Amino acid sequence: MNHDRAKMLLPAYADRQTGPLRRFLLGRHIARCPSCLAELETMHAMRTAMRINLPMHRAPPSLAMRIGTALPREAPPSIRWRPMRSGMAGSALAGGLAGIALTVAVTQLSPQPDTLIADVVSDHVRSLMADHLTDVATSDRHTVKPWLSDRLDLSPVVKDFAIEGYPLAGGRLDYVKGHRAAAIVYRRDKHVINLFAFVSDDRSELAPRQLALNGFNVVRWRMDGLSYVAVSDVEASQLLAFARLVMGGP
Amino acid sequence: MPHLDAAFNLARWLTGNTADAEDVVQDAYLRAFRYLDAFRGDNFRVWLLTIVRNSFLDWLKDNRSGRNLFQPAPADLESTDPNPTPEAMLLDRVDGETLSILMARLPAEYREVLILREIEDLSYKDIAAVTGLPAGTVMSRLSRARLALRKAWTENEKKS
Ligand SMILES: [Zn+2]
Repeated sequence: MNHDRAKMLLPAYADRQTGPLRRFLLGRHIARCPSCLAELETMHAMRTAMRINLPMHRAPPSLAMRIGTALPREAPPSIRWRPMRSGMAGSALAGGLAGIALTVAVTQLSPQPDTLIADVVSDHVRSLMADHLTDVATSDRHTVKPWLSDRLDLSPVVKDFAIEGYPLAGGRLDYVKGHRAAAIVYRRDKHVINLFAFVSDDRSELAPRQLALNGFNVVRWRMDGLSYVAVSDVEASQLLAFARLVMGGP
Repeated sequence: MPHLDAAFNLARWLTGNTADAEDVVQDAYLRAFRYLDAFRGDNFRVWLLTIVRNSFLDWLKDNRSGRNLFQPAPADLESTDPNPTPEAMLLDRVDGETLSILMARLPAEYREVLILREIEDLSYKDIAAVTGLPAGTVMSRLSRARLALRKAWTENEKKS
């Protein structure tokens, strides 16, 4: 690769945004070209300086509360794909949504995402955003379990796995595909795990299946006539380990 | 609330102050919440940052004339060759306060790509999604932004 071409592509090299072949050819040129090497080092130094010295502005604690208060308390569970309001047209958001609509059209060419999974991931995000994680907030399973059983005609597994690193945080009533569901809330470090339990038409046993959607990991299974779906942004292996704890397995 | 710090940091760098950043972020999260069901991308953070940026643009329309923001950068920034002296050593010495001031003086279109790339570590594809830039122009925009920051930096060093 000649110098002019290499110099033009240096940012992509520094940002690790090239394919392996181009990366190899660039690397070979840089090793022999002091000018490109100096330029690369400057780019790296700049990034380091920005990451270390540029103040990270953290959201003030009051902001999450302020947003939580402003959000609608309960979103209607049955309405999906709400039509865009005409009043929004012309705003920058409309432009943004046009982009999203395009994304939707493209992704639907690939196999349809499991609507149940899309539903629980949406519920998970909603619970985080609305700061409405729990209706009953306690690590005491003897409080959470009867609380849920009293309100739903089902009795899901509720245990505290604090020793294993998944402390129980509480419970909440939610909806999955329009049916009432128990949402049992656990924590893993700073992450939240929502475990949904509900009665499905198919009550046969189902071994755990791992999926990922929208950057969230999902594990679903059926046991004792109940469907369980665990959703979180923890690593897939950690979520699977959590699911096995709930199943009472090794 | 997911990715609140990332959203706030971007809004803070775009608006330049905490109060306006809070308004922009609140507006963005309300929008995100309302249109949550429309989200079918593969990266929630990228989707949120896109909405933060859209909220910022609307905030600009409502609150400011928009001068000095999202205007084409002066031509000299685009054509100047980077200083061939070993700047890497200079860059190591800059303090956070100076860096903040230099960043704040850059056009918003440069600030946003720098934050998205260097702080948020987004790929070119994701930066294109957030900013609405054609994917092929993200690299050149970033190059110009870096060059502008380096230029400001070098000039600042000369003065002091
Ligand atoms: Zn070279």
